Amino acid sequence: MGRLFQSEFLKLRRSSIWLLIFVSPILSLVLGLSELSEIGEFEQHQWTATLGIMTISHAILFLPLLTGIFSSFICRYEHVAGGWKQLLSLPVSRRNLYIVKILIVSLLIAATQILFILGLFIIGWMKGYPIEIPWGTISTSVFGGWLACMPLIALQMFASVAWSSFAAPLAVNVIFTIPNMLIVNSERFGPYYPWSQPFLMMMPNSAENFGALNVSIETLFIVIFGSLILFLGTGLVYFLRKEI
Amino acid sequence: MSNFIIETNKLTKKFGSSKVVNNVNLQVKKGEIYGFLGPNGAGKTTSIRMLLGLARPTNGSVQIFGKDIKKERLSILKKVGSLVEYPSYYGHLTAYENLEAARLLLGATKPRIDEVLAIVRLTKDAKRPVKGFSLGMKQRLGIATALLGNPELLILDEPTNGLDPSGIIEIRELIKSMPKEHGITILISSHLLSEIDQMATQVGIITKGQMIFQDSILKLRAQSTSKIKLTVNDAEAAWKSLLTHGYRTDFNQNKLFIENGSDDNVAEIVKSLVQNNYSIYRVEEERKSLEEIFLELTGLEGGL
Repeated sequence: MGRLFQSEFLKLRRSSIWLLIFVSPILSLVLGLSELSEIGEFEQHQWTATLGIMTISHAILFLPLLTGIFSSFICRYEHVAGGWKQLLSLPVSRRNLYIVKILIVSLLIAATQILFILGLFIIGWMKGYPIEIPWGTISTSVFGGWLACMPLIALQMFASVAWSSFAAPLAVNVIFTIPNMLIVNSERFGPYYPWSQPFLMMMPNSAENFGALNVSIETLFIVIFGSLILFLGTGLVYFLRKEI
Repeated sequence: MSNFIIETNKLTKKFGSSKVVNNVNLQVKKGEIYGFLGPNGAGKTTSIRMLLGLARPTNGSVQIFGKDIKKERLSILKKVGSLVEYPSYYGHLTAYENLEAARLLLGATKPRIDEVLAIVRLTKDAKRPVKGFSLGMKQRLGIATALLGNPELLILDEPTNGLDPSGIIEIRELIKSMPKEHGITILISSHLLSEIDQMATQVGIITKGQMIFQDSILKLRAQSTSKIKLTVNDAEAAWKSLLTHGYRTDFNQNKLFIENGSDDNVAEIVKSLVQNNYSIYRVEEERKSLEEIFLELTGLEGGL
């Protein structure tokens, strides 16, 4: 599996797609810098408030979209010129290959999240926020956002493996992501909509918290883990049976 | 355990209701160059994809090195190099990186990359992105990838596609040398009989999904032995006269045919005819070419 990772990284490094990890953190940084000049009065909430503002575009729009773009890209160079055929005539387990592909996308999302916090720190440093950084809140938000992306990655990987077209899985992703702006605000549907989860997990101080995460235990287990298992399982079974 | 490197048992693949591969029993012995011959769309590539575990058979089984591909795919594929249909490559990587991506998975050594690049004469272009390669160069890269893991079995699907004449000769010589030098077994598919004829020791001919001939190339060639055709004034009487003198000929369409006749034999028959006052108009040799045998075996559609 280690060699599979190395091989996949080689292919990824030479395509420029990984540069996209910078887009959302930079945009969020700009948003956080520009819109928040009057937060100064609530000194103890400066970090949290900035994080909240930055989260909006990042988690509602960019994270879900990025899961799709990365998944599509990582499958694209296999679809284009017989990559699947060659890869699977080598001594490679289909299951491991599928899992490595998913792990690589999740690492790209993790890198995005780390750059996102760096953005927050830059804002804090420029605006002179208090030295006591609320580590708990920030790490919960960033880790939660990453975790909430996992089912989306699993679903997008399924779509990207199944369709040799590059645009089709992305279109599906966009169709599900756009209504997000409405659904995250809905108390009834929000908790059950997989595309809303990155935002709900990242937004600090939601009403109901489970443990260290920003959502309720039902949401966490039913929606996030449930959909992860469902999407990952279906995708994997499909890929194991797929005729190349 | 059988002594076959590849053995399929009633291999069948259905797409919908049509059987693309139908009850194929392919048998390849160690050290052979097995020519897998058939017109376009006969089921060659589909069979090869099942051999490699890329597609699953509707029925029947595939054994490679005496192991079932369904159960021991990974350990089999470690010792198999393949090139299926058109060459596969990552356009955004250089030739070297393409081989490196495969090398990591095969566990081959790094110097082996330079070796295979040299074998297919791509050393000079190794640092160029493959998307700028010509079809022939991509094909060479595909062959290099197939050779990368020092395989014991090579499965090459139409390997000379897109190569120029000198490239074809080079690859042909390379393929011919491998069983001798490294004990590699090779299965090579083609729709061109002439190509198989120049390399193969065994031949399997498939058409419309069915294996219609499988034997050594010598047996196939034996079917192309020549006949001597005699045109005489009264063929039937001449035939009877020859029989009474102890010469066996075939009488067909008012002509006499001598099969497998030696030169002396032919001379004696002619002499006997002349002595019995038959007029001989023509003595011709009729030879069926391998191409004709192939077309005869595969039916008319194969000729198109």
